[in-house]
Amino acid sequence: MLPAQAPGAYTGGANVIAVLILLAEFGMFRQALLRDQIRLYMAQSGLISVLAVIVGAARHLPELYVLAGLAAALKVVAIPLLLRRLLRGTDLAEGPAGGADIAGSGGLSLASTILVAIVVAAFGFFAAGALGIRAVAAPVTALSVSVSVVLVAFVVMIHRRDVASQAIGLFSLENGISLAALVLAAGLPLILEVALLFDLLVAVVVFGLLIRLHHLTGLRQGRAESLSTADLTSLRG
Amino acid sequence: MTAVLPIPVIQVFQVLTIALGAPGVSGVISRVEARLQGRRGPRVLQPYYDLAKLFRKEALAPEGASWVFLAAPLAAFTCYLTVPLLIPVLTTYGLPLGYMGDILGGGFILSLASFLVAVAALETGSPYAQLGASRAKTFAAITEPVVLFVVFTVALITGTDLPYALAATVRSSAGQIIRPAHVLAAAALFMVILYETGRIPVETHTGTNEFGMIEEARPFEHSGPYFALLKWGSAAKQLILYTILMNVFIAPWGLASSAQAGAVLLAIVALLAKASALGVAVAVIDNSFAKLRLFKITEFASAAFLLAVLGVFTLYLGGG
Repeated sequence: MLPAQAPGAYTGGANVIAVLILLAEFGMFRQALLRDQIRLYMAQSGLISVLAVIVGAARHLPELYVLAGLAAALKVVAIPLLLRRLLRGTDLAEGPAGGADIAGSGGLSLASTILVAIVVAAFGFFAAGALGIRAVAAPVTALSVSVSVVLVAFVVMIHRRDVASQAIGLFSLENGISLAALVLAAGLPLILEVALLFDLLVAVVVFGLLIRLHHLTGLRQGRAESLSTADLTSLRG
Repeated sequence: MTAVLPIPVIQVFQVLTIALGAPGVSGVISRVEARLQGRRGPRVLQPYYDLAKLFRKEALAPEGASWVFLAAPLAAFTCYLTVPLLIPVLTTYGLPLGYMGDILGGGFILSLASFLVAVAALETGSPYAQLGASRAKTFAAITEPVVLFVVFTVALITGTDLPYALAATVRSSAGQIIRPAHVLAAAALFMVILYETGRIPVETHTGTNEFGMIEEARPFEHSGPYFALLKWGSAAKQLILYTILMNVFIAPWGLASSAQAGAVLLAIVALLAKASALGVAVAVIDNSFAKLRLFKITEFASAAFLLAVLGVFTLYLGGG
């Protein structure tokens, strides 16, 4: 039997970056410190920008460079800065010693959660593969990876208990969607892409409010510095 | 140099390169590690002196230990010297005995060796040796699926699971190297090698802290020539695994494509240089990470498993 055909340099490179984005998503399970999780999100967003540059260069779409620059400015610089500022008042910024809530939900051990996430990612892979999308220049694997990123981001959000960590899970979910957009519709008008980015900003503001509010209610109830969503159950009617 | 070596001689050279080069590679690693820590470190040739010293010492066996205790080091060492016949150590073309077994065959022989050492450790009745044997087997069961998925990846790429075929495929074009499945499988294999050779995220290689020991605890009761064989064997295993990673996955260049004496000589030098380069990388990892707690090793294994599984997924969809 002949060796399987290797993908071209463009497809191979794009797929490697897509897989790295998925690995960053998996890495978020491992990070015990919020600081590190934000750093991982920055790396993931940076990879998206790099992919945008590669796709732009390979398919001669100069507006993708603008998009890459904008996305990098927003997701690598602005959002992490904002998140860090929001967290400054809480102990979570200092690590698990102060805010113990950053650990997992406690339902499953980390290794088991990763196995669950692998199954979910497999579902995403094969679901996207079954669609049978055959874009001209788009690497199909990257599309499947983007669906997996979205699903694994859900698992991250379920696994984590604190608002800030869930927020980063949501933002990285948006990274998965950007990846899909890059692969499927690289020629999307720039204005739409920018609108998507501003959508993300709205999400940041909402989560910022949630973090602030949560923090304050926690303070008022005498349980300072808790961002755990487990506390929300007591808000019931 | 135009002398052409007979093929069986090259085959013997493969085994000799592994057997004689292995302590040297270990010496390079511990030297580099010491330099990175600001120490002077042992000589590169120190492992050879250690082995020579041990071979001159008398051998003792614990009371009640049967012949298995003394036979195991010899049998394990034989296993380690069998594997180099199966993998591309020096040549790009398969040598006559190279098709005796595929990657799985080599893996079986390596696990047979590890099993024999564990049985010998159980023979001793010493708690530390038994603890090491039990841990080694427990975690080997976790890393086994990773190896299987790496083999699946290789099989899906090449249509066969002969190491020679994969090395040839990787050499055929640059596209084969940057395909995600290949990168992922190589990374997963590297993590397994870190585990198998007892390097830092899993185990302290040179420590005397028994509680964290896995592989290192097993030969506690062996002494003299038997202990030397076990040490030599684990160095040989390390070089074998490095050879598989370098000559099959990451850098299958510098191998002899003919039976010319010069080419074979160059291949020996290239292999030792590549293994030392990988050893330097391992030493850097040794110095930059902390040892994982014993119960966190499952997380390390699950990360490796994740890489290997994603490799198979991307391939299965045809895009990897």
